[in-house]
Parts: sequence; C-alpha cells; structure tokens
Amino acid sequence: MSGKEVIKLNRLSVGYGRKVLIGDIGLSIDEGEIVTLIGPNGAGKSTILKTIARQLEPVVGDVYIEGKPLSKLSFHELSETVSILLTERVDPELMTVRDVVEAGRYPYTGHMGMLQKRDEEVVEEALALCRITDISDRYFRELSDGQKQRVMLARTIAQEPKILVLDEPTSYMDIKYKLELLSLLKRLRDSRKMTILLSLHEFELAKVISDRIICVKDRDIIKVGTPEEILNRKVLCELYDISPENLEILLQSMESVV
Amino acid sequence: MEERSTMKKARTVRYGVVFTLLTAAFFIILIVNINTGNVSIPLSKILEILSGGDEGSSAYSIIRMIRLPRLVMAAILGGALSVSGFLLQTFFGNPIAGPFVLGISSGAKFAVALNMIFLLRIYRSVSSWNMIAAAFLGALITTGFILLVSRRIKDSAGLLVAGIMVGYICSAATDFLLTFAEDSDIVNLRGWSLGSFSGMSWDNVSIAASVVALITAASFLLSKPIDALQLGENYAKSMGVNVRVFRILLILMSSILSATVTAFAGPISFVGIAVPFLTKSMLKVSKAAVVIPGTFLCGAVFCMGCDLIARCAFAPTELNISTVTSIFGAPIVIVMLIRRKRK
Repeated sequence: MSGKEVIKLNRLSVGYGRKVLIGDIGLSIDEGEIVTLIGPNGAGKSTILKTIARQLEPVVGDVYIEGKPLSKLSFHELSETVSILLTERVDPELMTVRDVVEAGRYPYTGHMGMLQKRDEEVVEEALALCRITDISDRYFRELSDGQKQRVMLARTIAQEPKILVLDEPTSYMDIKYKLELLSLLKRLRDSRKMTILLSLHEFELAKVISDRIICVKDRDIIKVGTPEEILNRKVLCELYDISPENLEILLQSMESVV
Repeated sequence: MEERSTMKKARTVRYGVVFTLLTAAFFIILIVNINTGNVSIPLSKILEILSGGDEGSSAYSIIRMIRLPRLVMAAILGGALSVSGFLLQTFFGNPIAGPFVLGISSGAKFAVALNMIFLLRIYRSVSSWNMIAAAFLGALITTGFILLVSRRIKDSAGLLVAGIMVGYICSAATDFLLTFAEDSDIVNLRGWSLGSFSGMSWDNVSIAASVVALITAASFLLSKPIDALQLGENYAKSMGVNVRVFRILLILMSSILSATVTAFAGPISFVGIAVPFLTKSMLKVSKAAVVIPGTFLCGAVFCMGCDLIARCAFAPTELNISTVTSIFGAPIVIVMLIRRKRK
C-alpha cells in the first residue's frame, strides 16, 4: 500500500433528497486499495457508491477525492478521476459494442467527440481486457445480459479513471466471467494503481479480492475490516440475518465440491 | 485492428450512399415540384427563369413568387420538424416522442390562433416574428406541462396518451376560438390551422431560414452530449455532461424549431417521428453528428414530396399538408412500433 489517501468520507450522510439513509460515515481509502461493500439488498450499498461518484448529492458532509471536496469539482473534472458502473439497464439504439465503449472516452475527446489514435488504443485495450473484442461490431441491444455487463464494464475502464466504482459488477455474469472479473480488477489495481470500490452479493468472492470489506446492514455500516477480520461465522450470520445452522449448510455446500 | 477498420469503412460507405441518395432525391423532387402545377411551364423556360431571365412574365411570377418560396419553405420546415423530433426523442429517451404527438404543435397552434385573433383586431396585421414568439410560448407551455406529467408517468405509453390528450385540449380550445371569431379572421386562420405551405413570401422564408439554420447548427454542435445521453442521464452525468443544463437546452431548441414550423405552416403531423426513424434505419447509426444532417435532408425531401402530393393529387383543390404527412407518416410509425416490440 502506498498509503496515499484518495477518497475520504468526512461525517458523510447519504440518502435521497433530504432523507438520510446512512448517517455519519467516516472512512479513508488509500490509492490502490480494493474495498468491497457487502450486505443484504436494500441496505444502502448503492447509495454510498452513488454518492462517492456524485450520482447523488450528499445529504450532510462531503466526499473528498484526492483532497478536494466533490462539491468543488466540476462534472468534467470528476469524470476524469471517477468512473462508475451502475446497476441500471441501458438501451442505446443502434450503438455497437465499440460505440458504447468509445463513449467512455467522452472526457478526453474534443468538441465534436472525434477519437484520436490514443483513444482508439485505450478502447481496444478495454475491449480486450473484458474479452469482448470478438463481439465489438455487434449491436449492443442484441447481446445477452452477461455480455452487456462486460461491455458496460469496458466502458468504465476506457474512461481511464483513478477510481473505479462498480455497483454489483458480477450481476448477470456466469461463474467464469465472475472469476475473470476478479483477476481483471486485481490487474487494474497492480498495473494502473487504480483504486476500486465495489459492491458484491457474493461474500466468498469479496474475500478473494478485497483489501478491506465494509458490511452494510439496516442502513448502517456495522463493521469495517480486512477479509480475515470480517468473514467469520458470527459476522456473516449477523450481516445476512441467517441462523448458524443455515450458514453451516451454505458453507458445507460450498466445500462439498470434490 | 483489421476488423475495426472494415466496420468503420462499411459505415462510411453507408453514410456516403445514403447522403448521395437523399441529395439526389432532393434535387429530383425539387425539379418535379417546380415543374408541376395548374399552369404548365416548359423546363427550358423554368431554367431561364431560375437564372433570372424572362422577368415580368406571368410564368416568372408563378415560379419566382409562388412555387419557389413554397418549395424552399417546405424543405426548411420539413427539416426543422425532423430535427425537432430527433431532439425530443433524445430528451425523452423514447423514439415515439415528437412535437405533434406530444401536443406541442397543438399548443403552439392555440397560442398563434389567440395571438392572431386579438392582434388582428387591434393592428390589422401580424408580423412573422410575432407569430414565432406566440408559437414558441405556446410550445413551451405545452412542453412544460408534458415534462410535469412525464415525471409522474415514466412509461412511454402513458406519456403518449398524456401528449395526445393535451393535443386534443389545445385543438378544442382553438376550435372554440374559431367558432366565435369574426369571418375575416377565420379566412386567415382556417387555412393555416389545417396546415399548409401555401402563400409563403420570401420574407417568411428568410425569417424561417435564419431561425432554423441557427438552431440546427447549434444542435449539430451539441452532437457529443446528445450521444452521451443515449446511455441514460446517469451515465451522461458520470461522463461529465451537465445534464440539467443540457436538457433545458435540448427542450428549448426543440421547442423553437417546432414553434417556427407551426407559426408558418400550422401543425404538421408525424414528420417528427417518422423521418428520424427512417433516417436512422437507413444510416444504421444513432450518432447525432450523422443523424442531424441526415434527418434534416430526409425531412426536407419528405415534406417537399408530401407538398407536391397535397398540391397536385386533387388539383385544383389542395389537400392540407397534415393529411398527406399522416397518410405516409403514420404507417411508418406503426412499422416502427412493431419492430420495437419484436426486439
């Protein structure tokens, strides 16, 4: 860890409008860290991620990106630093996979959005990283949900952010691509020093990839720590509201693969 | 890398073909249009007149004062309607949005009718600018109302129904005005309120041309954020678009365009939906920098063609332009809906 702080949440309350969903969050994330939010549906994981990427305005407090408060950054400045993968479905008309990924270059292209050679290289690399080069000329609407998810991921990578925010990046993906995603994220961190914030449903995947895990439950952050500290039976039962017996069944089913 | 260049090349070829065809269609319709009418004028004479000869003859005034301004107006306003539709579709993220179905044209029509009746009483004349201003106000008020409704109703069917209802209300209000207007006003209003390109002066043409050119150019220059909005508001925001400001710009530009059309030619139906759809289907792309000029050209051709039919199909009686655009436009919209459902 380089120890350089890139994200700081200072007494942050997130929510919609004036309604606070999770209050008084304090957190500091270093460059190159991979931080995962886990917890049941509706706990507020998305709300936190969206506030950090300024899709939502903070209710109280502020988010500091590389020392600057979000409210002082223009949307353009922010777009060169943070890119986000949202859970919402997009339905672009007559756009090919490549068109969608090229949209990630938006902050860097000139007034009419023409791509330079460097932009095309970045797009090419993003396509290759997400293994969609072979479908790059197909129309986005024709793809399966899993393919679409990889295209949208490639778009966020093409935006060349310092901070990557991924809201449930594994949704619609089958197990092969889930595992590939994890190694991809590690590579992005190692080669580009990207800081990555994501939310996951699969705590077992969170364990493999994260430097730190944040447990969000009932509109509250109940625990923050390394995977070793977090992923024990007691925390999991509490986090997901499951009985110890049921957890055993789940864990055994995972281990039962020969 | 190889594959990329072939795709890009294929697209460029397609653009080239489509634009060439549209330009060719434009000139063919232009010539046929000048050449057709109650008074037949031989082609050689037309060419002579267009190059400035034979001044003072009746053929000269028919071509120079009647047919040509009407044609140019049909081209300009047809293009304007199509671009206006395209901008609205971007705004709502919905290909069925257009100035006519959303009731915006009818709102503009009502404002113009009101303006005409009252100003004619006082001043006995109405300037083009005044008409545009009234139409713009009417368009903006209706759009504002549609926006309010669209916050509550997210699905396209609901939005559409709301728009159609607003259209009906405005039309009813206009009819009400007409019923109680004086005969002299009705003569003025009636032809206009049904929609027509007839009776255009060069003054009208130059005013419409300057407004439309300005707004179309502006929307072309906004191609980049328009494209970004294709991925939805939230992604556009994350790419650095100031969505709030940009959406206001979009709706203003679209309203000015459809207001200009309504001020001069009355409400014209379906062009704003059918033409952008046709253009995108031909170009197989949604990039605004290509679609905006394409849809303008296509709209010009479409409206010139429809006006030709309106003029000639039952000559000497003229159809109103909306009758013709509906006959051709509405089936295109139906095809579009069926194709979308199949997806």
